[in-house]
Amino acid sequence: MGRAIVITSGKGGVGKTTTTANLGTALAQLGHSVVLVDADIGLRNLDVVMGLENRIVYHVVDAIRGKCSIQKALIKDRRMDNLWLLPASQTDDKDAVTPDDMRSLIFELKATHDFVLIDCPAGIEQGFKNAIAGADEAVVVATPEVSSIRDADRVVGLLAAADVPARLIVNRISANLVRRGDMLSQSDVIEILALEMLGAIPLDDQVIATTNKGVPAVLEGKSVAAKEFIRIAKRLAGHEVEPEAVGFFTRLGRALGLSATPA
Amino acid sequence: MWTGIKNLFSGKSSRDVAKGRLHLVLAHDRSGLEGGRLQEMRAEIAAVIAKYVPIDAEAVEIQIETRSRSTQLTVSSSIQPRNV
Repeated sequence: MGRAIVITSGKGGVGKTTTTANLGTALAQLGHSVVLVDADIGLRNLDVVMGLENRIVYHVVDAIRGKCSIQKALIKDRRMDNLWLLPASQTDDKDAVTPDDMRSLIFELKATHDFVLIDCPAGIEQGFKNAIAGADEAVVVATPEVSSIRDADRVVGLLAAADVPARLIVNRISANLVRRGDMLSQSDVIEILALEMLGAIPLDDQVIATTNKGVPAVLEGKSVAAKEFIRIAKRLAGHEVEPEAVGFFTRLGRALGLSATPA
Repeated sequence: MWTGIKNLFSGKSSRDVAKGRLHLVLAHDRSGLEGGRLQEMRAEIAAVIAKYVPIDAEAVEIQIETRSRSTQLTVSSSIQPRNV
């Protein structure tokens, strides 16, 4: 039986879909079978972030209504051996499915895959309730900003009420801004939200460039954000994660008290 | 170093300001109390205290603060000396 993990945030535009795409791709690269479920019915986006928008035939609402089998609605990602996407419907709205529908759909997907990653819509209404219904655990994505953390805190409360354990990813952190005192650090965010942290993704132009092309950053491999996504995927899967490699000059700088210690 | 110089002049970094604002905003969000309700509660509590000890009801302060996941409600009031 696989694990169902919902990626959520409350606020929109903080990187839920990008995180879902990259963690899913990284987990598949590690050899796990993964299905990505776009739960943002009416505003589907995971298909374009994955670059699979031209291959959609059926979608999640078709599968729930029995218009096709669940397996038939899955799109196989040809770049990998074991990665699938269940796209959202673009024409229905959030009320087209119920939490019970989602619960049984996710349950069936867990029987055939190691990981079911659910991309949650922004907000805390029906779409959110649907997205978390079948989830065993949650990953809360927050950027180091007051509005994002405020919304994340709300979501953390709702997840706790629904008995879904949550861990945190801080997205788009800039070490430079933190050092200058112009951005909340990852430890500030942890302290405020009191959540276990899976990792912090650095602000990285490469993510924008690869997303333009419909390629998850981890498939192109070398960017700093990609490396962190891979570390987080390993942590999620329970692999040993090696501590961050620290270069000679960084260590020298730290020893001399010149550069900021990791926040 | 630059941060140090900047903070010397402006007092606080924007990071510290953000942290302070978050602690306050989250305390109110988590309590589910909107501003108006909070003032209502303040007035009621002040009235109760005033039944037992002499206080200046207007000077009663109410504060919600949050640290990690626990949120604290603090009511503070100074007691006026008794007129003997």
